[in-house]
Amino acid sequence: MDRNEIIAQIVGILEDVAEISPDEVREDSVLMDDLDLSSMEILTIVADLEETFGIRIPEKELRSFVTISDLADYLSSRVG
Amino acid sequence: MAGSKISPSAYVRQGVMYYYREKTIYCRYQYALRDAVDPGLLQAAADAALAAADYFKVKLVPQKQGVDLAAQEEPFTVCRGSRLRAMPDETGGYLFNISCEGDTIYCDWYHLIADGHGIARFWTRLLMEYCNRRYGAGFACPPLPSAPPYDMDALLAHDPTPREEGMPAVDPVPLEAGALCRSIVRLDKDSLVRAALGCKVKPVSALLGLLSLAVQPFVGRQRVEYCYSTDTRKVLGVPDAFYNCVASFRHGVDAGPGARLADFAADIDAGLRGSLDPGTQLTQMARMMGWVCRVDALRAPLRIKRRVFGMGEAMGNFPADFWVSYLGDPLDPDRNYPPALLDYIRDFEVWVPPDGASVGFEVASLRGQLIVCIQDKLGRAGLPDALCAVCARENVGVLEKTVLGPALPYQE
Repeated sequence: MDRNEIIAQIVGILEDVAEISPDEVREDSVLMDDLDLSSMEILTIVADLEETFGIRIPEKELRSFVTISDLADYLSSRVG
Repeated sequence: MAGSKISPSAYVRQGVMYYYREKTIYCRYQYALRDAVDPGLLQAAADAALAAADYFKVKLVPQKQGVDLAAQEEPFTVCRGSRLRAMPDETGGYLFNISCEGDTIYCDWYHLIADGHGIARFWTRLLMEYCNRRYGAGFACPPLPSAPPYDMDALLAHDPTPREEGMPAVDPVPLEAGALCRSIVRLDKDSLVRAALGCKVKPVSALLGLLSLAVQPFVGRQRVEYCYSTDTRKVLGVPDAFYNCVASFRHGVDAGPGARLADFAADIDAGLRGSLDPGTQLTQMARMMGWVCRVDALRAPLRIKRRVFGMGEAMGNFPADFWVSYLGDPLDPDRNYPPALLDYIRDFEVWVPPDGASVGFEVASLRGQLIVCIQDKLGRAGLPDALCAVCARENVGVLEKTVLGPALPYQE
C-alpha cells in the first residue's frame, strides 16, 4: 500500500470518528490543535487504523503521532 | 438488592472497566478449614449467603457496545473440585463460583462485580453460614446489603482531566509475556513490623520496599515501578459497598544493586501516605472512572472500545513492573466478623493475575503471617528466592517458600 492510499484511509477514519471533512485535513495538520481531536478520539482513530491495517501499534508510539504525516510515516514503515 | 429496590443495572458502571479489559480477570480466595468440607452443607451455606446478599444474584447481559447487569433467577450450584471456572459461562450465569475439595473452599469471582475488599464480606458470610451448619458455631447472619452506588457524577466532578488534554507524558512499562508461575512466600509479620519501625515507616511501606528490591534484578534497570490500589469506600461514604471502589497509584524507586530498604523506605512511605489522602484518592479515582465512563460512552464496536480502553490505561500511568494488593485481614479488612470464626480457618491463599504488570503480589495477613501470593510472568526462575534473600538481608523472617507451578486456568 502506498503512502497516498494510507493517507486516504486515515482521512476516511477521521471522517467516521470525528466527522472531520476530508477537505479540512492536510498532511501537516496537527491532530490536537488543527483538527481539535481529543486524546479519546486519537486513540479511537489508532484502534481503527490497527483494524484496517491488521497491525498492533505499541502504546509507546502514541505520543509521537502529532500530525497526519506522523501517522502516515509510521503506517508506511509497517505496511507500506 | 437486599433491603432496597436498586436495579442491578445501577451497579454496572462501578465494574465495567473489567469488561473493557482485553483479558478477563477472575479472582480466587481460598480458605482451608480445619476439617474436610462437606459439599452438601456448603451448598446450604451458599444458598443462605446468597439469600442474604442478593447483590450477587446477577447475570451479565451483553449489549452491542457494552454490557449490563440483570437479576439472576437461576439457582446457584456449588461445584466439586478446585478448578477455576470461566464466569459466567461455566457457572450457570453467575459471576462468582464456590467449590470445594478436601479441606478447602474455593471462592472465585469475576472482578466486574466486586473488588477483594468488597467481596470479602460475602465470602466471610459464606464461611459463617457453613460453620453454623458444620460446627453449630451460632454466628448471627442478618441480611447483608450492599451500599447503593456512589454518585458517579459527583465523583467525576473531581476529575481534573480536561477534554483537550494531550497524551500523558508517562512512558508505559513494557510487559513481559511469559507463562505465569505461582508461588507463595510466608513472612513473619512481627519481624516485618520491626523492620518498618526501624525505618520509621508503615509496615506496608516496608513490604513495598522488600518487593521492589526483590523484583529489581529482573527488570533490567535501577528504577522499579509498582502500582497499588487504595480502598476508597470511606472517602466515597459507601463502607458496605460490594462493588469496586479503588484508586490506583504508581510509584517508583531506585532499588539497584547495593540498595537497602532504609535507603528508600521513607520515599515509599511518603508516596503511600500521600495516596491515602482523601482528596488525592478522590481525584485519582475520578481520573480513572472518568476514563472508564468516557470509553463507556464511546459509540464504537466493543472491540474498538476494548482497545481504546487498554491504550488509555497504558498511557495513564499504568502498567508497572509489579502490582501489589495488600488485603490485610482476608476475612474482612475492617475486622467486622466474630473472632471465633478464625478458630475454623486454618489457612488462606489469594490468586489474582497481575493486571497490567509482569508480576503480581497479593498479600494477606493471617495468624501472624504475611501470606505473599506471587504470580510472575517474567519467565525467569528465582523471584521467590530473591524475595527470601532480600528478607534475610533486612532481618525479616521467612517462614516458608513454596513454588506451586503454572497459573490457574483462565489466569494464564
